[in-house]
Amino acid sequence: MLNSINPKSAVPIYRQIMDQIRRRVAAGLLVPGERLPSVRELAGQLLINPNTAARVYRDLEREGLLETRRGEGTYIAADATALARSERSRLLRERLEEVAGEARSFGISDEVALRLFRDILLALHSSRKDRP
Amino acid sequence: MSENGFAITTQSLTKRFGRKVALNQVSARVPVGSIYGLMGPNGAGKTTFVRCLLNLLNPSSGSATVLGRDVVRDSVAVRQRVGHVAALQPLWEWMTVADLAGFMAGCYPRWKPEAVFGILNRVGIERAQKIQDLSRGQRTLAALAVAIGHEPELLLLDEALTGLDPISRREVLRSVIEVMHEEGRTVLITGQDIADMERVCDYVGFLVKGRLIWESPLEDLKAQVKRIRIEHPADSPPDFPVGAMRPERATRETEFTVSSFKPELLASLAGAGRRVEALDLSLEDIFVDLAQGETNRPSSASRPTP
Repeated sequence: MLNSINPKSAVPIYRQIMDQIRRRVAAGLLVPGERLPSVRELAGQLLINPNTAARVYRDLEREGLLETRRGEGTYIAADATALARSERSRLLRERLEEVAGEARSFGISDEVALRLFRDILLALHSSRKDRP
Repeated sequence: MSENGFAITTQSLTKRFGRKVALNQVSARVPVGSIYGLMGPNGAGKTTFVRCLLNLLNPSSGSATVLGRDVVRDSVAVRQRVGHVAALQPLWEWMTVADLAGFMAGCYPRWKPEAVFGILNRVGIERAQKIQDLSRGQRTLAALAVAIGHEPELLLLDEALTGLDPISRREVLRSVIEVMHEEGRTVLITGQDIADMERVCDYVGFLVKGRLIWESPLEDLKAQVKRIRIEHPADSPPDFPVGAMRPERATRETEFTVSSFKPELLASLAGAGRRVEALDLSLEDIFVDLAQGETNRPSSASRPTP
């Protein structure tokens, strides 16, 4: 279910996994009530420290995205989708901030940067329409 | 059980071979329940460290405890509670896998054949196979399987992943993760495959030339070691702070690595026309920078580990 992680990335492994789960919930690939692998299974699948796997579940539970039913396992929480969607704009913002910094360091004006972004969005829309 | 929550403690552990100092005043602490990666370049002293813990080598000075017991005085008791796998470990070549497992079972009062054969079955090693016919990866897996038969509280994997094919490596890691599901187990892994270590380790120690120059949770290491990048006007480059590692300078750009990053540092480097940023480093980059920083350091000074 989860993509393999990239241990070489500077992004900590637990954050990579948390983001993957969030993204899947936001995209509707993981739906409320769906059961996730146990900590043991997750650690074994991704070959990561069980403490890391436990921490991912604990933190996502604290965020309200997951719920643990005692003795039963970990599930996607009822209102997880809405939560993850609001989280989406935060994740996007983080990425855009990086890009904005890059635009500055290239010496690209705000107008040009905005126009580029709009062009990219438009190109995405038209390529969607072209699809059969 | 252990010494204040530490499965391993060493106090100024020093080992000399003639004039060569293989371990230099190493004071390490490995928390119970961690997977501790002991990393370092070739010849840094990693194997010497492990061999001292097993009393296969006598320390020249200093001391060490494993699971609360002194490694020299209580070496027999320690060995009963520790599992050990080394790279290219000598095994009895003429034995079959089943013979080896049976022989090891006889060495320990407590023995759990299900754990041993669980690994062997999963990786497709048959009981009737002779040790001498196993591939390098299979030998390591067989050694690992029999190393956990007595349900050790501490597992020492000394370069066990080194030189293995990717599939065997994964199986070793998988077995280590399985071991960790039992409460209170601790694993110490030495090696150089940083990507593997980063996957499974939550605690890291870094040995360079016999000295432990870093020990902390992996996360703290990543939070504290950062690459600082400054864009600045050509006529006002910033000074390199004391202890800056891998310093680089171009006309309008300056970069260096720091080992005790705090957000305040960025403000202190800011100035007219400057753009300052802190970049995350991969574990590999961190270790290269720390190792070079240590090598370039005037000899005696030792940085206390955080």
